[in-house]
Amino acid sequence: MPIEREVLMEVKNLRVEFKGGSKKPFVAVDDVSFKIYRGETFGLVGESGSGKTSIGRAMVRINEVAGGEILFKGQRINGLISRELDREVTQKIQMIFQDPMASLNERAKVDYIVAEGLYNTKAYQSEAERKAMVSQALLAVGLLPEFASRFPHEFSGGQRQRIGVARALVMQPEFIIADEPISSLDVSIRAQVLNLLSELQQQRSLTYMFIAHDLSVVRFITDRVAVINRGQLVELADTEELFANPLHPYTRSLLSAVPIPDPALEQAKVIIPYDPLGHDYAVHKPLWVEVTPKHFVLGNAAEIKEYRQRLA
Amino acid sequence: MEEQALFVLAERDVADAERSGYSDYSYWGSTIRVFMKNYAAVFCLGLLIVLLVFIMVQPYLPAQRDPNEIHLSQETFRQLRNVRPGAEFWFGTNSIGQDLWARIWSGTRTSLGIGIAVASWNVLIGIIVGTLWGYVRKLERVLTEVYNVLDNIPSTIIMTLIAYMLRPSISTMVIAMGVTGWVPVSRFIRTQVIIIRDREYNLASRCLGTPTGRIITRNILPYLVSVIMLRFALAIPGAIASEVFLTYIGLGLPLHIPSLGNLINEGRQLMMIPVMRYQLIFPSVVVSLITISFYVMGNAFSDAADPRNHV
Repeated sequence: MPIEREVLMEVKNLRVEFKGGSKKPFVAVDDVSFKIYRGETFGLVGESGSGKTSIGRAMVRINEVAGGEILFKGQRINGLISRELDREVTQKIQMIFQDPMASLNERAKVDYIVAEGLYNTKAYQSEAERKAMVSQALLAVGLLPEFASRFPHEFSGGQRQRIGVARALVMQPEFIIADEPISSLDVSIRAQVLNLLSELQQQRSLTYMFIAHDLSVVRFITDRVAVINRGQLVELADTEELFANPLHPYTRSLLSAVPIPDPALEQAKVIIPYDPLGHDYAVHKPLWVEVTPKHFVLGNAAEIKEYRQRLA
Repeated sequence: MEEQALFVLAERDVADAERSGYSDYSYWGSTIRVFMKNYAAVFCLGLLIVLLVFIMVQPYLPAQRDPNEIHLSQETFRQLRNVRPGAEFWFGTNSIGQDLWARIWSGTRTSLGIGIAVASWNVLIGIIVGTLWGYVRKLERVLTEVYNVLDNIPSTIIMTLIAYMLRPSISTMVIAMGVTGWVPVSRFIRTQVIIIRDREYNLASRCLGTPTGRIITRNILPYLVSVIMLRFALAIPGAIASEVFLTYIGLGLPLHIPSLGNLINEGRQLMMIPVMRYQLIFPSVVVSLITISFYVMGNAFSDAADPRNHV
């Protein structure tokens, strides 16, 4: 039995709604719960519009929480919180955005972009110290300190994404939410950014939540994966376990769609379609059940029984 | 052996690779460079500068007349009415014998002064209200209602009322145009703010805990420089046009303060008499030059201030 690991981030029955006019609100995230342990890379996978970004944004407090709780080191961080906690959370939880072309302020120099968080938390004693912190952050992501005096549009996509990483790193965070950090990058530089993230994780013992829809990347970088569909988690397990024994029909369908870099195999591949109406939830409501240790799946009693049989 | 001599492993410096594609970019430097390439705009800018300098020094030049002095004939002691442009009166005289040359430049001073004051006020208040309206969600509802009320009162009525209540003067004019002139500007700024307020870089700033004030000044307003400058450039001739309009409906400045508004109004009354048309043409030409120059310049600057046009 492994020793109990520290829970860094916990999401309990999270609900995120978007109000559009007078109609009833659109529920983007519904009753989602999971834990993220210190030092791991947690993956959140789902198709476009499934609510994965909404969860990430609720965790950095951009999206309002309509219900449930978000806990950081056991303290609630959603809703009204004390000034000290707000400051701590602002510093310790950082986000890396999807599109490096859109996530940097075009009218500010790299120096300001990277130091923006420092200005907000006043985490430096002197101007010289602030400059040194910016230089260090730039060096840490493989950029040169003299880039600080340039504007974002002078950089390539990969370099811009690394500026985004530097902006998060300079805050000395403990937890980083990476919202599809490589999906809008050129394929040739994806590995560059992924390797950078892995290196930084080892050096600084960071915890990541990695939001993605590219399953091969998720398999490469994450330790545990949660699959989300229409605002609900359907399955959560260790990455290898999930890829080896996908239980929920949605997960199976998702995994079956992963391209195989071999034309012969790719041709013979069978794609399993997912039919959301295939569940018979009229009488027996689905529950979030731990089928085997650390492998959770959403299903009603009959389905769970079937899943257990398949694993046996 | 030979192959080893032929093929040498190329040296690769990672830091050097990062350095590639360096450009020494500065926003304002590029803006000015792009603006300078537009010769029409540079010409208009030059024209406006010359005009501004000229109207400032004109009263101190030799042989200038007082704009309000009524000139009398030496022989008959009658007013030199409607003297056509010539060596004595360069732009002729008006219907009571005042020198049109002096009146036009004095009027240009008044009208440009009103225009710049009104435009600055409207744009300043418009930016402040517009950014708060667009960015601060708590204020959105309140300001929208205030806007609905203000926007539904025709500005002509407000201008007319104020011009009636206060004594006609330059400050009355500025107040009448400034009371509601900022409303459309603030709405325009609000729309622009809403377009960019939820872009990812603003979300990133919010994640980093940047206070709203700094998001507005560092993230939002720099993106709006080009549209604000265009708005400002067009607001100056706009205010001059309003002044002409107020004068036309009889609420303008008193006649002893010449302005392009009352000059055009006087000229308009003589429009149907061909020999006296010069009294309309001269002030109209000045108004047109100012309007066209600001328009051309404003457009060129707005294009130049957009970094997408910085090659």
